[in-house]
Formats: sequence, structure tokens, C-alpha cells
Amino acid sequence: MKLRVVSASHHLHTVREGEPLPDLTPTLKQVCRERPRRVDRFIELALLGSGLCVQGRQLKPDCGLYLGSGFGPMGSNVAVQEQLLRDRECPKPFDFMNILGASAGFHVARNLGLKGPNLFISRRGASLEAALVAVQADMQLGIVSQALLGVVEEVTLPLDQHRQRHEWHADTPVAEGSHWLLLEKDGTAGKPLRLVRLSDLKELEDYLQAYYSPSGRIYWSLGGEAAVIGALSQRFMAHTPIDSGIHDSQPAAWVAEYAASDESGPLLLIGIGPGESYRLLHLGP
Amino acid sequence: MSGAYIRGVGLASPLGMDAESSIAALLSGAAQPARLTLDGLTEPLNLSYHHIPDGAELFDPQRLGRLLPQVVRAATESLSEAERATLPVFVGSSCFSVALAEAEYAASLARGTVDAIAMPRCDYDYPAKLACAALRSSGETWSYNTACSSSANALLGALRFLEAGVYDHALVLGVECANRISLAGFSGLQVLAEAVRPFDAARRGMVLGEGLGAVLFSARHVPGALRILGGANNCDTHNVTTANPDGRSIAEVLRAALAATGTDIGAVRAIKVHGTGSVSGDQAEAAGLSQVFPTLPSLSGLKGYIGHSLGACGVVELVLFAGALQRGLIPSTAGFSAPDPALGLRPLTGSAPAPAGCYLLNHFGFGGNNTVLVLEKPA
Repeated sequence: MKLRVVSASHHLHTVREGEPLPDLTPTLKQVCRERPRRVDRFIELALLGSGLCVQGRQLKPDCGLYLGSGFGPMGSNVAVQEQLLRDRECPKPFDFMNILGASAGFHVARNLGLKGPNLFISRRGASLEAALVAVQADMQLGIVSQALLGVVEEVTLPLDQHRQRHEWHADTPVAEGSHWLLLEKDGTAGKPLRLVRLSDLKELEDYLQAYYSPSGRIYWSLGGEAAVIGALSQRFMAHTPIDSGIHDSQPAAWVAEYAASDESGPLLLIGIGPGESYRLLHLGP
Repeated sequence: MSGAYIRGVGLASPLGMDAESSIAALLSGAAQPARLTLDGLTEPLNLSYHHIPDGAELFDPQRLGRLLPQVVRAATESLSEAERATLPVFVGSSCFSVALAEAEYAASLARGTVDAIAMPRCDYDYPAKLACAALRSSGETWSYNTACSSSANALLGALRFLEAGVYDHALVLGVECANRISLAGFSGLQVLAEAVRPFDAARRGMVLGEGLGAVLFSARHVPGALRILGGANNCDTHNVTTANPDGRSIAEVLRAALAATGTDIGAVRAIKVHGTGSVSGDQAEAAGLSQVFPTLPSLSGLKGYIGHSLGACGVVELVLFAGALQRGLIPSTAGFSAPDPALGLRPLTGSAPAPAGCYLLNHFGFGGNNTVLVLEKPA
């Protein structure tokens, strides 16, 4: 089954040493019906990305909200642990509420007037892919006809501690991100998106042979398969991401940036599946 | 909608260390929370809490790693090694790896480490990784975190992959293991009580508990097995912590679950209520139920036996409720004695016969996340 990306938004901000996080207030004023109160950075990022993605559009009554993240609301989690274990106090109520998994989804739904399914799904390094296949299954079964899918990763200062939590090197450039896709099942608007299951390397090679275009983009979602990637990369040139900061859901940044662009070649995102299999996200022709 | 059959279960609950003993204890009416002192605070907290009786220190960060594999193996023992090797795992939890992170941070603070890092790890995948290691599986994983409806939503997610023909089997886990943040956080919200009294005139709040549940679902028919027909999820944007007391969004999700599964309200034999014992939560649930059912079927609440296992309650309560139905009984509602005239409903105070037919399971969470499941008991 093909989905269609009818709208997308892409916020990726590299956070540099000694600099504060960017103020999101001006954009939030543009996209929020009411001023969000007592929300944390993670919720602000979710409101910003979702608002930009659907700006000026009328959403369908059954639109589902699917939010993915590898690390979730880390800033509030840090605050709550410090209050409890360092300061020896009960967590402040609003910090505690913001770490509950449904809080960001609640605020996005409230801002956009969504009443349908509302989910938070995580898979380290692959939250986009995990949420996307959930969207696909729900659309295939007619649970929803439209889905707003977002992937959010925040940066929690100081940067050295942020890197330690992610087990990154001390000089790794880091970024916060909020990447959103508005997906529909039918119609002709936007770019087509397919999720393809390939049972082995031969099927992957055949698929790439059929759809690879030098004018498109090809990405490897997960590491650890250096030998395979090496063999294939001699024939299919992988796209080199621009030199910017990273977060746990980097594939979401690639996909949303491409979806929001007017590029016409295909984007192929390759991930490792169970056993010998591969999962491929194919966006575009 | 074809649904999915319950092929295997595993459980560690405050009622017992496995599903069999927990269901037997449920039907015998055993239920008493323990008293727990949460020290290390300026003012220590003394709380009621339902804990898994494994004999270990409650906040031992390795407990989950010891207990969860046993629960996973119990649920999947009917599968072959090859089937286990690619089994997809769907986890619903509100604790994930937080106990590990608490222990590491506390240890750093105790050592006097100047730059001790709060939340030194965050791993939503941790329970899924434990399950995959126990199964020796490279299967795909999904970790759901939607507060108290987490594992009910994980279950719906798994069901849809089975119905879409993506998988033949799926393992769904509900995971809640004791941690300081949940206890202190909910205490700070002033929503905890000494005892759970669902829908009772004297209800004052909820009592927390832990629970680890696993259900193996099969898309193929399993003779005699109960079947999840489906369900629905929606979002109530009234307030982040409290459901709309008018019950409208709860009525909507109940109707959506019935419609999605083609279930007539007359076919509903009983409802496993969410029934936290909170004043406003029970009010909203009662209002929603009365809008959908002109005559209410039997109501059964389980949190008086095991406490509120937060993100795990969808799976933990399914294992207990389904087990009771298979033994021919709808469980009574521990903690309920005096009806609240404002709610106009009266949950079961004794076990009742469980006929073949459909049963609803309600799960409502902070953030307005509402999920209702429909379970079928075969004739």
C-alpha cells in the first residue's frame, strides 16, 4: 500500500558550545491557537513542528497523531530526577506531568483540535520507521484516513552531559529536531511513500537496481552492517548528509527535509530487519 | 475484523509470581497493599503499594532484568525456537529503564561525584531488549508510552499488524516495576490514597502497584482461546491530568470500539472498568458508560487487588481478567462497598458467572489517552 506525504515540516538546529537553545516563542505564536502554558522544550518542539506541518490545512476528523522519539522529554526527566534525588523533594507537578508519555501528544491534539488516535512510539535510532509502519497498518485497516506523524528529539544542556547520555564522542555535533509528515492514503497530492520489506540482500540489490537514481538520495538507517553497505555502496552511491548536528532520530531529519523540498528524485532509506531481512522506506517516484 | 487469539500468557503480579497463582488469588479475593516508606526525601513518604512478592529489595535496579525474562518465557513456551527468533515485541510501559537511571544517579550522588549526571540513561527499548534477549530474537520492537493506556495501545498496535497480515504471532508486554519517580511524582500530584475504592462513595484516590504481563497473540485460530476482537483509542483534550467529567470522550471511545469490532451493546456481558478510585476519573468513566449503555452490564474492577500498574495495566489486567473468564467467572471488585449516588452504578461485589460473549476492557490515561479493548469468550 502506498501512502502519500501531503505536507511536511523540518526543524533541525545544531546546538553549539556555549550557546543557548534557540527561542521558539515567535514561531509558537504563529502556530498555536493559545499560548502553551507549563510545557517543556519537548512539547514546544512538538507544537512547533506539528503546527508548521499542517499550517493552513483542514485536518480530517479521524486524523491520527503518531509521535516518535528515541529519548523523549529528557529535560523534564532530568529536572524530575534532580528534584527527587539531589534536592530530596517530590517532583514539581508540572515537571512530573511533562515526563508522562502522553503529554506532548495531548498538547498537540489540543492545539490542532485532534480527537482521534494519539500514540507515542519509540525505537532507538529508528523511531520514524517504527511509527510509520504503525501508520501504515492503521491506514490499511481503515482505522484512520489521515495521519500526522512527528519525530521529536530535544537537546538538554549542558552539551557534554547530553553527549554522555547518548554515548557519543565529546566532539560530536548535536542538534535538536522536530520532523513532521502529514500522510494520507488516497489521492494524488504530494509525494508517494512506500514501506518495503525485503527478505534478503539479493532482494535489496534488485530493488535498488530498479529504483536507484543518481539524482535521488540513498541513506543507510542503521549501522553495524559495514560489509554489506560497503559492497552495495560501490554501485549505489549513498547520500552524504550535510555537515550538521545529529540526534537519535536522524533518519526522520533526512526524510522530512526531503519531503519538504521540491526535489524530484527518489529517497531510499535502508534499514536492517529481523534475520537476514531489510526494511526500505521509498519516498518519491 | 478478525482479531487475534490469546495463545500464551505470562505474569508476575502483586497476587503471585505467575499467571496461575495470580488468577487463583484474584478469585479467592486476596488483596491487601503493603505499607512502603519512601525515604531519602526531606519528608519521607509513607504510602500504600502493591508489589510483586519476589522477596527482593523493591528498588533493586536489576529486578526487572530478572523478572521479565521469566514472564516472557512463560508466554512463549508454545512457540518453536524458529518462531521465537523473529517474534515481534510490543511493549507498553511508563517506567522503561527509569529504575536503572535512578540507581546510577543516586550512586553518583552518594559518591560525591561533582558532575553527577541526572538521568544518565534513557532507554525506552530496555524492556523490549530484555524480551528479545530472553527469546534470542532479532524481531522488531515497538515501545509505547501513553501513560496508563500504554500497554493497551501496544496491544492494539500488535493486533493491527496481525490483522494486516504482517505477522502470524506477536508478543505484547505490559511493564511496571517499582521506581521512586512514579511514587514521589504521583504523591506530589496528591492523587494517592490509602486504599482503592473504585466507584465507591468513600473513594479518595488511587494506590500504585507493579506488574509484568505478557500475552502471546496468534492470528491463527487457537481452539478454546479467548480472542481480542479489536478496540479503539482517542484523545480527550479537556485537561492533561483529568478526564472530562461529562464522560463524552469516554463514551466516544466506547462507541468506537464497539463499532470497530461490530459488537452490539446487547452482546456485552461485562466491562472490566479502569476504576482507579480517583474522584474525577471514576466520575468521567461512570458518565461515559451511562451514555452508551441504557442498562449497564456487570462491572468488574481489578485495581483493588493489584493497585494501578500504570502503563502495564492494559496487559496485566487482561491476563487476570481473561484467566478469570476462562475459569468461568467475572471477578468481583475489591474495595467497593458503598455506591456513590452521584455515579449511579454498582460494580460486582462478588464473582459472577462468565457466559460466552463479549467483554470490554477500559483503560484511560493522563494526557487524555483513552483506549477500550473488546475481548470475546467463545461458546
